[in-house]
Amino acid sequence: MRWDSRLKYIFLLPTVIWVLCFTMFPLFYSLRLSFFKVNINQPSVFLGFGNFVRAFRDPNVWNAARVTLTFVLVGVAIQLILGLLFALLFNRKLPARGVLRTIMTLPLFATPIGIGYMFITIFHEEGGFIRASLGSRIPWLSNPDWALVSVIMVEIWNWTPFVFIVLLAALQNIPEEYYEAARLESSSPWEMFRYITFPIIQPSIILVLILRMSEAFKVFDIPFALTSGGPGISTQTFSMLTFDTYRRFFDFGYGSALAYLLLLVVSVIVTMFFGRIRQAYR
Amino acid sequence: MKSRTRVLNVVLTIVAFAAVLVWLLPFYWAISVSLRPPSMTFTCPGLCIPGVQFSPTLEHWRSELGSREMRNALLNSTVIAFAASFFTLLLGTPAAYALARFRFQPRLVVIFAFIFCGILAFTAATFGVDWRLAILAAFVVFLGFAMTLGKRFERRLGNEDITLWFLSQRFLPPIVTVVPFLLIMSQLKLIDTKLALVLVNITFNLPFAIVIMRQAFIDLPVELEEAAMVDGASFFGAFSRIALRLAAPVMAATLMIILAFCWNELLFALNLGTLNAKTVPALLAGSSSTRGIQFWFVAVRALTALIPPTILALLAQRYIVGGLTFGAVKG
Repeated sequence: MRWDSRLKYIFLLPTVIWVLCFTMFPLFYSLRLSFFKVNINQPSVFLGFGNFVRAFRDPNVWNAARVTLTFVLVGVAIQLILGLLFALLFNRKLPARGVLRTIMTLPLFATPIGIGYMFITIFHEEGGFIRASLGSRIPWLSNPDWALVSVIMVEIWNWTPFVFIVLLAALQNIPEEYYEAARLESSSPWEMFRYITFPIIQPSIILVLILRMSEAFKVFDIPFALTSGGPGISTQTFSMLTFDTYRRFFDFGYGSALAYLLLLVVSVIVTMFFGRIRQAYR
Repeated sequence: MKSRTRVLNVVLTIVAFAAVLVWLLPFYWAISVSLRPPSMTFTCPGLCIPGVQFSPTLEHWRSELGSREMRNALLNSTVIAFAASFFTLLLGTPAAYALARFRFQPRLVVIFAFIFCGILAFTAATFGVDWRLAILAAFVVFLGFAMTLGKRFERRLGNEDITLWFLSQRFLPPIVTVVPFLLIMSQLKLIDTKLALVLVNITFNLPFAIVIMRQAFIDLPVELEEAAMVDGASFFGAFSRIALRLAAPVMAATLMIILAFCWNELLFALNLGTLNAKTVPALLAGSSSTRGIQFWFVAVRALTALIPPTILALLAQRYIVGGLTFGAVKG
């Protein structure tokens, strides 16, 4: 059978043109903007690397970088560990496992900003669930450190199910015979995990790690809803800082430079794992 | 030994149930808050079970869902989500099929030439050359190059590279394209229209649709389509009558996942839909500033935003894992 036809170009070209117009062109456009001081109703001024130099001297940028990195490192690490533990737990025979699994996946597609607002009713310091029902007096949203903790907690609540459901699927794809063979050799549960389970699900773990990390660098919705970056700028993530630069100060040039710095970091991470990604999508 | 494993099983079952309760609690609490009379908002001890500790009222739901801004937002969100996901699939499915069944071998040097000419046109346009002229000139240069020198270099890319190119757009932080989109849309006079948000959502979900649907087509047995073609069907016939029908379940699931993504989109909704095209997430984003923190009101709005995509997730259960990992892990 000869799988060739002019039709293939007609099938593929519209999307390629679409991506060139709406993804590649905007990308170049904001790269260009990042080298200019953009003035509304006046010609822009070329700054060279001025915006980037300014970014490195800006304490707000360093703060946003610190907050975002905390999200990525602490948040994603906890999500991975919790998700893996839950996956192992739910891989056992449990009563009503299907129902429990379904409930765990409820946050997966829930609107992140809705989740943020929903958690205000939990964390609010006068009448939130934790204050009213558990009696804790922790300043969840008004203390800079606790605010960061609560936003990360919500992120963990939101994204652990993702890690969980992917790793559970990976676990359930392992043939039962492997374990039977190991039991014949009277291996301990730890040995079975170490030498059977882990090596098999390791590619899935890496994949989840890449997907979660690249998403976590963009974190915007949940801190926006829960703390709007506050108190002060203690939970202001990189995306939020960039957004503020655009929206509040209309500083399109500087904002684009910041956005490009974020893009650069995400690209480095993705490139680091590029071999893995290629393998996963064979 | 036997009793030890039994104890372990009981303990682990309890742990599992406890974990599920933690994940259920915020939903429960928001529902409870949304049903309480305002006087009970801050003064309800314990779990505050509706019907036991207070008599539930639907007043907040009625007034919020009856408000004009909420109705508008719900309508906008629905229209935008359906339009965007429909066109995403309309564009993406044929491309995915082409990538699954045909071989593409673009020459590397031609792609470089294209990028080079694109940058050239772009730079020329920023320095005051009329953009139509710049694009035309760059296109002529590119064609000339592709016809002559382009044929002499043999290095080619394959389908996988094209797929990865689409996939890599998923990793792009959307904040990078906010300003360009703002400027493009203001050039096209599309600021604050639903169309602008439809365009944005198509752009961000197109790579997803292509990667998922390509995997779906690869997983189909190619023999059926070949048999149809032996019987005289055209490529298009094999695609539309056989492949599309067989891939319909995956397509439906992809549609649902994209619907949820479009519904949840916040960043561009905030920038491009300020008044007439305000979506539910954008409306929600203004909740704390307009009315202060009124719990019942926040809870109702948050739940209104949450419920539709959550239902979609339940409907697409079987395909979630494949969907969220772009087909890399089979659910």
